Amino acid sequence: MPELTELEARLTQLAPELDWPTTPDLSHSVSVRITMRRAWYQSRWAIAAAAAIVALAALLAYAPARDTIAGWLNLHTRIQRVGQLATPTPQPPGPLGQRLGLGGLTTLEQARGALTWTVLVPSSLGQPDEVYLQLPPIAPPQGEVTLVYSERLGIPTSGQTGVAVLVTEARGAVNAQFFGKILGPATTIEDVTVGGHHGYWIAGKPHIIYLTDTQGNIRDETLRLATNTLLIDEGGTIVRIEGDLTKAQVLQIAASL
Amino acid sequence: MEGRPEDVELFARAQRGDTAAYEEIVQRYQQLAFRTAYVITGSAAEAEDAAQEGFVKAYRALATFRAGAQPRPWLLRIVANEARNRVRSAARRHQLELRVAEGFRPGDAAPSPEAAAVAAEDRRRLLGAVNELSEEDRQVINCRYFLELAGDETAATLGILEGTVKSRLSRALARLRARVEGGAPGTGSARPGAPRGDVPPQEEGSRA
Repeated sequence: MPELTELEARLTQLAPELDWPTTPDLSHSVSVRITMRRAWYQSRWAIAAAAAIVALAALLAYAPARDTIAGWLNLHTRIQRVGQLATPTPQPPGPLGQRLGLGGLTTLEQARGALTWTVLVPSSLGQPDEVYLQLPPIAPPQGEVTLVYSERLGIPTSGQTGVAVLVTEARGAVNAQFFGKILGPATTIEDVTVGGHHGYWIAGKPHIIYLTDTQGNIRDETLRLATNTLLIDEGGTIVRIEGDLTKAQVLQIAASL
Repeated sequence: MEGRPEDVELFARAQRGDTAAYEEIVQRYQQLAFRTAYVITGSAAEAEDAAQEGFVKAYRALATFRAGAQPRPWLLRIVANEARNRVRSAARRHQLELRVAEGFRPGDAAPSPEAAAVAAEDRRRLLGAVNELSEEDRQVINCRYFLELAGDETAATLGILEGTVKSRLSRALARLRARVEGGAPGTGSARPGAPRGDVPPQEEGSRA
């Protein structure tokens, strides 16, 4: 369309004429901040990475463990076991969605309209108090939705998230990984089956969770401590249920999906 | 847009813990990062905060930057994500209003006063028409033509797929052309604070 080409040329010519606000010099302020944070940052990753490499090498050398890792991959989740769990810095204050990297606040109806797959809602928890939607390329290829539940009967508010239960759901291409977990020695992981669907129950001491984007990059804002978590494959939808929950409670929630 | 070899080297050094190299990266990209955040937030103060926070987060995430990858989309994604988060959590939304710099004169000609006035009016009308588009249309045009971002960089900035950038840009240009050629009411007379299209709670465009 020649008209558009001409219009595009006019827009391009306009670019150098724009009156942008003066760009502040950020190099000094950024330099100060990264220098202040350098010690904990390098320490955390050095410990986690070194321990993860050793632990992963040990796991891979043991035949049954290879099967387990393959199972984990089917849940689009990379799980690493480390000898010492470094502690991420506390989450900054702010709205829940921003603090936990959940995406934009929306409604269940809008989230369902924006996604091509079925968003599951656990009937035992009732309607979620808040719903967040994250889309690619930040989220997995087919998007990610998080249902947020405030305190429910018998389920306290979690000190890690500030809410009672988080239910995160996503679908992705085969072999894509979009959840990552780093488990210390005081965190247990066990196979579970709910309604014929396979999953893992991660409990005990809080573990580190992070989410990745479609490029496989760690979404930095999502790196935090997580409490007890159930990961389950509900017919291709990976459901992650997190809260200060007992195994019986989480299995009941998962069974009501 | 190809990343320059020096960028690759700088990132490699920064990944090895060279903070001076990262400081140079910040200096090199701070204008692009700030303007990108400004396009999203519509506020210079918010843009400064978002760009600064984005650079700090990018530093913390350097371990996830893949060697040989293009740094611009990676940085823009982080900064833009920070800017979007600030817009979402802000009590009120700023309306971006780009303007032509005062006293700007094209350098390749010495037009008559009349011709200069006509050209200036033409630029003002075009920018006014851009400013009156919906936020979605404005952002994709701002990214592609005013920030001069490549398709993948625009996709990273807006949090959408590259294919969606093309379709969204095509629609935005068609609407802009209709405004410019059709003389839609208000065209060329950008009104600060004038209502625009509703802003969706979350970017569309994951399935274009």
